Amino acid sequence: MLTVDRRTFVKASAMAAAAAAASGSNSAFALTVLNNQPEGSPLKWQKAPCRFCGTGCHVMVGTENGRVVAIQGDQKAEVNKGLLCVKGYHVGLALYGKDRLTTPLLRKDGKMVPISWDEAIETVAKRIMANPKGFSFYGSGQWTIPEGYAANKFVKAGLGTNLIDANPRLCMSSAVTGFLSTFGVDEPPGVYDDIDKCDVAIMWGNNMAEMHPVLFSRLVDRRSRGETVTIIDMTTRRTRTSDLADHVLYFKPHGDLAIANGIAHLMVKSDKYDREFVAKHCNFRKLGPKPDEKTAPDMLGVPMTFEEFAAAVEPYTPERVEELSGVPAEKIRMLGELFMRRDIRINSFWCMGFNQHTRGTAINCIVHGIHLMSGHFGKPGDAATSLTGQPSACGTAREVGTLCHLLPGGLAIANPEHRKLAEGHWNVPEGRISSKIGYHAVELFKRFNTPTDQGGDVTTVWVQVTNPGQTIPNLHRNFRQKKDLADKFLIVSDVYPTATTELADLILPSAMWVEKNGMYGNSERRTQQWFKMVEPPGDARDDAWQTIAVSHKMMELGDSGMKDKDGKWLFHTADQAGKEVPIWEWQHYYDLNVDERLFNEYRVFSRHKHKDLAPYEEYVKARGLRWPVVQQPDGSWRETRWRFSEFDDPYVAKGKGFQFYHSVSKDDKALIWFRPHENPPEMPDAEFPFWLCTGRVLEHWHTGTMTRRIPQLHRAMPKAYVEMNREDAAKLGIRTNEVVTVKSRRGEIDLPAWIGGRGDPKPGEVFVPFFDEGKLINLVTLDEYDPYSKQPDYKKCAVTIVRKG
Amino acid sequence: MPEDPNLSRRDLLRGRLFGRLVQSAAKSVQRFEAAVSSAALAQESPTDGKPRSATGVGRRFALPIHRPPGAVDEVTFLTGCTRCNECISACPVGAIVHAPARFREAAGTPMIDLHTSACVMCEDTPCIAACKPGVLSADQPRKMGVAWVQTMACLAHAGSFCTVCSERCPVPGAIDVVAGRPSIRADVCTGCGVCASVCPAPTNAIVVMPLADRPATSAMQESQ
Repeated sequence: MLTVDRRTFVKASAMAAAAAAASGSNSAFALTVLNNQPEGSPLKWQKAPCRFCGTGCHVMVGTENGRVVAIQGDQKAEVNKGLLCVKGYHVGLALYGKDRLTTPLLRKDGKMVPISWDEAIETVAKRIMANPKGFSFYGSGQWTIPEGYAANKFVKAGLGTNLIDANPRLCMSSAVTGFLSTFGVDEPPGVYDDIDKCDVAIMWGNNMAEMHPVLFSRLVDRRSRGETVTIIDMTTRRTRTSDLADHVLYFKPHGDLAIANGIAHLMVKSDKYDREFVAKHCNFRKLGPKPDEKTAPDMLGVPMTFEEFAAAVEPYTPERVEELSGVPAEKIRMLGELFMRRDIRINSFWCMGFNQHTRGTAINCIVHGIHLMSGHFGKPGDAATSLTGQPSACGTAREVGTLCHLLPGGLAIANPEHRKLAEGHWNVPEGRISSKIGYHAVELFKRFNTPTDQGGDVTTVWVQVTNPGQTIPNLHRNFRQKKDLADKFLIVSDVYPTATTELADLILPSAMWVEKNGMYGNSERRTQQWFKMVEPPGDARDDAWQTIAVSHKMMELGDSGMKDKDGKWLFHTADQAGKEVPIWEWQHYYDLNVDERLFNEYRVFSRHKHKDLAPYEEYVKARGLRWPVVQQPDGSWRETRWRFSEFDDPYVAKGKGFQFYHSVSKDDKALIWFRPHENPPEMPDAEFPFWLCTGRVLEHWHTGTMTRRIPQLHRAMPKAYVEMNREDAAKLGIRTNEVVTVKSRRGEIDLPAWIGGRGDPKPGEVFVPFFDEGKLINLVTLDEYDPYSKQPDYKKCAVTIVRKG
Repeated sequence: MPEDPNLSRRDLLRGRLFGRLVQSAAKSVQRFEAAVSSAALAQESPTDGKPRSATGVGRRFALPIHRPPGAVDEVTFLTGCTRCNECISACPVGAIVHAPARFREAAGTPMIDLHTSACVMCEDTPCIAACKPGVLSADQPRKMGVAWVQTMACLAHAGSFCTVCSERCPVPGAIDVVAGRPSIRADVCTGCGVCASVCPAPTNAIVVMPLADRPATSAMQESQ
C-alpha cells in the first residue's frame, strides 16, 4: 500500500527543482507554480505550514481519496517562496508510518492493554481529581495554538495550579529572558525580511544550513542574484554553514560571552558606538547583588552609568578575548570594526548555541546590547534574530504562555494585575489563578522521578506532542527512575511509540498535522492557520479534544473548577442559535470549528502586550500574518514587520523614531546589559577530557519520531554517531565507523565514530546528534541550567571516549 | 518535469529509462555517453533477425547487467558463471541477487539490485573471494558502472541543502562537492550505487548505469 502511494507521491511532488531548471535561473526562488494536474483530477491542494521546524515554510498539501499523496512548496508563502528542505518535501509521509498509535492503551499488570476512549478519559479525569496538585501537563512548541490554549486554560483556570510547562523550556526560554531583560517584552523585533536586506550575516554558534536550511537558502541565494552578503560563521566546529561562510571563527565552547563583550569593549574604546541612538533609546544595566548564596540576582537588574559600563567591559581587550575564546585578536577587531560601520546592515542569528547555555540569558542580552549600542537595530537588515526550532514555540509556548510562569498574551503569573486580567477574560472567580509559579521542565521531571514521600510531589504527568523520554537531560536521573515508583502515573498523547510511551501508563493516540485543524506561530511572529484535510487513523483523536473531554468528564464527576463563576463549563461552546454543542463528544467535535472558537477567545489576551492578533478568518486567507496585526481605518488588517520602529510599528508614537513601549525602565528605552564571562559548571579534565556538544542534523527533526519513519530520510541518515576531530581520533587509534563509548559522570552510550564527516569538531571536542532513539545521548548530558530561563545546557559537558574491547 | 506514467523509480534504477534518454536533450546524452560507454547504445539493429545482446550473443536491446565488483566481460561471465550462489551468500549486505527471468539467458546469474541494497565496496571483497570459477576476479577493476547526478532532481542543485551522497560514498574522490553541489567523477566512480540508495530527493536524483563493456582478463581469455 505504501509503495503505491509513494509512487503517486513522488510523481505528484512536482519539485521546485524542475521549475528552476526550466526557468534557466540559478536562483532557487525564481520558480513558478507546478500545479499542472490534469483537469478533473481528484487531487485537491490546500495550504498548511510545514509540520517540522520553526522556520514556518508553507507547503501545498495534495490529498486524494482521504490520503495525503503530494507535497509541494507553496509559491504564495513569503517565508519559503516555494522552496522546501529535504524534510519538507517528505512531510506528508510523516503521517503514514506503519506503527501509528490507533487505540488508547492502559498499563494493566505491566502490559499495555487496549481500552475504550470512555475508559481512557475517565481514567485521566479520576487520576487528576485524586490529586490535582500533583498533576502536571507537559506539552511542546508543536502544540497548535488552540491546543496549547485549551491545556493552559484547563490547568490555570480549571485546576487553579500552574503545573504546566512545555519543551520550549529546553529550546527557547533563554531567548525569552533575553528579550524580556532587554525590551521588557518577548519575541524578536525584526523579521525574515532582514535576511534579504543585510550586508553582513553573523551566525553565532548557529548552523543555519542544516537547522534552518530554507532561511539559509534565502540568504545565500542572494549571492546567485549578484548581491554581496558577507557571512561570518562563529562556531565551535566546522559545519555545512562554514562551507559557505566568508569568515569562519572557531571559538572555545562558552567563549561567546567573551567575544560579544570584546565587541562592546572596542566600540567603547574607539568611541564609535552610536551615541545618538544610545542617548535617546537606551539605558545601561547590570545584575544587582545576590540576595543570598544560593539565589541568583533579579533578572531585571539595576541601572548603571555609561562610565560604569565602560569600566566593566574594559578588561575585554581583543588579546584577553583571544585568551578566553580562542578567536585571534585581529578577528575580534574585524568584528568590532564591522559593528562600528554605519554604512552596512548587520543581522545576527542564533538558535540553540546561545539558548542551551548555562549563561543563555546573559549571552542573549549582550548580543542585543551590541546591536543597540552600534545602532544596528530596527532598520531592514539591522537586527538580532533568534531562530526557533519548533513550528509553534513562539505561537503556542511563548504567546499562549503554556509555561509554568506565564499566562496567555505575555502576561505573567507573578503579576497580580495580570492574574486579575486573565481571571476576567476567563470569567473565573478572583483568586482562581494561583500566584505560585509551577515547576519548569527539568524540575518537573526531577520531582516526577523522586519518591512522593521524599519531596517528589508530582505524581501524574500528561505529556502531549513531545518526547521527554529522549530530550530531558540526564535521563537516568530525570526520567527513567519513574519506572520503579509505583504511585507515579504517566499519560502520553502521541502518534507513534517513542522513548516516552515506553514508560507510559496510559497512551492516548493522537491526530497529527493535517488530520486536524491547527494554527502555528513561527520565529518571525507569523501566525499561521490550516484546516483538517484527512481523517486520523483508527481511533486517534485531536489533542485539544482530549483535554476538553477530560475537563468535561471532571465537571461531570463534580469538579467545580471546570466551571466559570456563572456555573458555565470552561469550554462551553454554542452554535449560532445559542444551543450548546457537545464538543466533549468526539462525534460532535467537528460540528463547528473549535479551533476558531478557542483562537478568538485567546485573541483578547494578545492586546495587553501589543501582540495583537487578527480574527481567525484573516489567517484563513493569508499565508500567516506577523503580529501585531492592527486593523486599519478601512477595516483591513495590517501586519507589522519591524517592531519598535516608527516607520512600521503603529504603536510607536509619531516623532519618536524608536519606542520600546514595554521598557523595563518604564521610559521607553531598551537596556544594554553588562554580563561578564564566567566559566561553565562542568569543564573537561583529566578523567573526562572532551567537550560534548549535542545537536540536530538536516534530515531529522527533533527526536526523529516522524522523520525516522520516512524511508528517504531514514536511509539518508540512519543512525546517530560521534563526530571526532582527526587528530584526536589518530591519538586514540579510532577509525570511522568504529564503535566507541561516550561516557560522562552521568551515563554512557556506544556510538560509531565519524571522522572528517559532515561536521568537524576542533581537537578536544566531540559532537553527537540527539535524533536517534536507539542512541540516547541524553543519558550522558548534564542537567545544569540557566538560573533565569531554567534552560539546560545541552551543548557543553565533559566526556571521555573509550575504545571498545 | 516530464512524467511518464509507465516508468517507476525501480525502472529508472534498472535502467529502463536508458533508451528514452537517448531521445531526450542531446546535451545530456552527450555528457551521459562521456560517462558511460556507448557500446550498448551504439549496437545497431540486427539485420539477420536473430536476437542479439549488447555483447553480441543475446537478444535485441538487451541492457547491461549490473554485475558485482570484479566481474569479467559479459560473454566470459555468462559462460563461466556456474550459478553456484556463493557470491550471493558471501555478500554481507545482501546486495547481490539472482537476475530475474526477464534477463533471459542471464537469469539466475548474480547481479546487484540497487532496489534491495547498494554494493558497499567491501575492502576484502568477500564476493570475489567466494567466486570459484573466477568470473568475479581480483585482477579486474572493481568498476561496476557509473553514477550520474540528475541536477534537476538534486536538492543541492535546486538551492536547498543536501550532502548525503558525497558523505556516504565509499570511494574517496568519486563525488566532488563544489559550493555545496555534488557531481560525480566518472573515472573514479565504481557504480556501487550507495549514492542512489541514500539520495533523499523526492525524485531520486542519481541514476546508476551498469558498465556495458567490461574488459576481459587475459587469464580468462587464455583458458578459453
